[in-house]
Amino acid sequence: MLIEIDGLRLSIGGVPILHDVRLALGEGEIYGLLGPNGAGKSTTIAAALGLLKPDGGRVRVFGKDPWMAGPEIYGGIGVVPEQNGFYDWMTAEEYLAFFAQLHRRDDGPNKMREQIAAVGLEPRPGQAIGTYSRGMRQRLSLARALVAEPKLLVLDEPTNGLDPRGRRDIHDLLIELAGRGVGILLCTHLLDDVDRLCRRVGIIAEGRTVAEGVIADLVRSERRLARFRLRLIGQPATMPTEIRHVSVVAHEGEWWIVDLDPEVTPDAAWRELLFRGWPIAEIRRESGGLDELYLALTERRAA
Amino acid sequence: MSAARLIARKEAGELLLSLRGLSWLMAVAVALSVFGLLLVSNTELSLLDNAQVVYDMVAIVTALGGLLALVVGLDAVAGERERGSLVALLLTPASRDAILSGKLGGIAVAWAVMYALALPYLWAVGSTGQNLREAVTILAVLGSPVVLGFGFFGMALGARLATARTALLTGLIGLMISASPLLLGPSLRQSAIGRAFDVINPISAAVNAYDGVIIDSQPVLGQWPHALLAAAWLVLALWLARSGFRRVAR
Repeated sequence: MLIEIDGLRLSIGGVPILHDVRLALGEGEIYGLLGPNGAGKSTTIAAALGLLKPDGGRVRVFGKDPWMAGPEIYGGIGVVPEQNGFYDWMTAEEYLAFFAQLHRRDDGPNKMREQIAAVGLEPRPGQAIGTYSRGMRQRLSLARALVAEPKLLVLDEPTNGLDPRGRRDIHDLLIELAGRGVGILLCTHLLDDVDRLCRRVGIIAEGRTVAEGVIADLVRSERRLARFRLRLIGQPATMPTEIRHVSVVAHEGEWWIVDLDPEVTPDAAWRELLFRGWPIAEIRRESGGLDELYLALTERRAA
Repeated sequence: MSAARLIARKEAGELLLSLRGLSWLMAVAVALSVFGLLLVSNTELSLLDNAQVVYDMVAIVTALGGLLALVVGLDAVAGERERGSLVALLLTPASRDAILSGKLGGIAVAWAVMYALALPYLWAVGSTGQNLREAVTILAVLGSPVVLGFGFFGMALGARLATARTALLTGLIGLMISASPLLLGPSLRQSAIGRAFDVINPISAAVNAYDGVIIDSQPVLGQWPHALLAAAWLVLALWLARSGFRRVAR
C-alpha cells in the first residue's frame, strides 16, 4: 500500500478536525477523496504528507509514519496542493528545473520542455509565470508534481480552473500514470471526475469517513441504482429483459427510462446496448449513482 | 548544487528579479537619496561636523537595512505561505534546515545589496572627511549582525504568527522600539531606563560602536563589547527563526 490511514484523529489549535478517517491507496490506483467543504479532506491530506501531527490513529506512507520520516519521503511523492503559489518572475522551465534540482535530479532543459508539454502547457518563449492564466498555473502545478517521477501523486482539486478540454487532457494523463503504477489520491468536489477516474472512493463528512470502498459496492449497499433516460432513434433490436444489469423502468415515446446495476459502469452498459442494437441518440442521467450516494451520505451526517 | 544554495539563489532572484523585490530596493534607494540630499544640502544639517554626518548616514543605513531584512525575512516565510508557494518547497526532499539556510542566505544577499547601494551615498556625504573607511568597516562589522538579526527575527515572526500582516505589524513595532535610540535625545538615553535599554538593544550596540569609531576615532577592534551584544542578538534571532521554521505548516 502507498497510503494507509486508519482511525486518524487530529486537532488544530485544540479544535478537533478529524475524528475517524480511514483510507488505503495502492499502486496504480486512482482513489477519490470526497466530502463537503470543511469536512477535513485537506487536513487528511496534510496529515498524510506529514505536515500535521495526528492526535491518534495510524498513518503510513510507503510503510513509514510521514510525521517521523525525514524529508527523503517526499522524493517519491508529487503534490498539487489546494492553494497554488509560484515564483511569478520565473519561466516554467526555470521553475521546474528549480524543483527538479531540489529533488536531486539533473534533468536538462529538454526534459523540462517534455514535462511542460506532457501537461499540455504551451507558454510563449520566456513567458513569466506571473502572466499565466489560472488554467496554465494549474497545469504547471501538475508538471511540478510530476517532475520527480513520483510513485504517489496527491492531487487537491487538480482540475480547478481548467476548461473541459483541459480537464479531459488531465484525466487522460492521470489514467496513463495510473497505468504505469502511480498511485493517485484525488481530492475533488467534481463527482464527474471521480466517476470517470476512480474505482474506489472515501467520503468524509465532519471529520469522519462515512463510506469507503469500491464505488459500485457503495452504490449497491445504499441501494442507489443509477437511473438514466435514453432517447432512441427507432425500436431496439433486443428485448430489454435479455440485457444484463439493465432494467427498463418506463417507455415514453422515443424516451426509455432504464436503471443500471451498480456492478456495471454506464460506459460499459451503453456499449452493451449499442452492441445489441439499441439506436441510442442521447443519454441523460435521471438520478442515482455516485451523486446520490454522496448527497445521501453527507446530508445524513449533516442532519 | 546543495538545496540551501539553490534556495538562496532563488531568494536572491526574488529580490533582484521580481517586481516586489525591486520595489523594495527602489524604496530603499529613494530613502537613502532623500537622507543623503538632506544631509548635504540642508542649511542647518550641512553645518554638522563631517564625522557626525557620516555617523548619521551609517545609522540610517542600519535602520533601513534592518527594515529591509525584516520585510525580506517575513516575506520568505509568511509571504510565501500566504501566496501558497511555501508548501511546495516543504514537500521536497530538502531538509527544513537546508530550506531555512537558503532563506537566511536570501536575507544576507538583501543586506549585501543594501550595503553596496549605501556605499556611494556614504562616499557622497563623507568623502571630504577622514573617517569614511572606518565608517564603512564598522558598518560591515557591527551593522551586519544587527541587520541580519532583524531578518532572522522577521522569519521567526513569519513562522510563528498566523498572518503576514500580523507578523509585519509586530516586526515593525519591534524594529521601531529597537531603533528608538536614533530618535531619542542624548538626555533620554542617559536616563536609567535609557541606559538599561542600551545594554540589551542591538541597534544601541551598533549606534554606540558607530559613535566610538566615526566620531571619537576609536579603533574598530575596541568595539568588541558592542560586537558581543550584536552577535548575541544574531544568535538569539537565528534560534528563534530555526525553532519557528521547524513548526511551519505543521
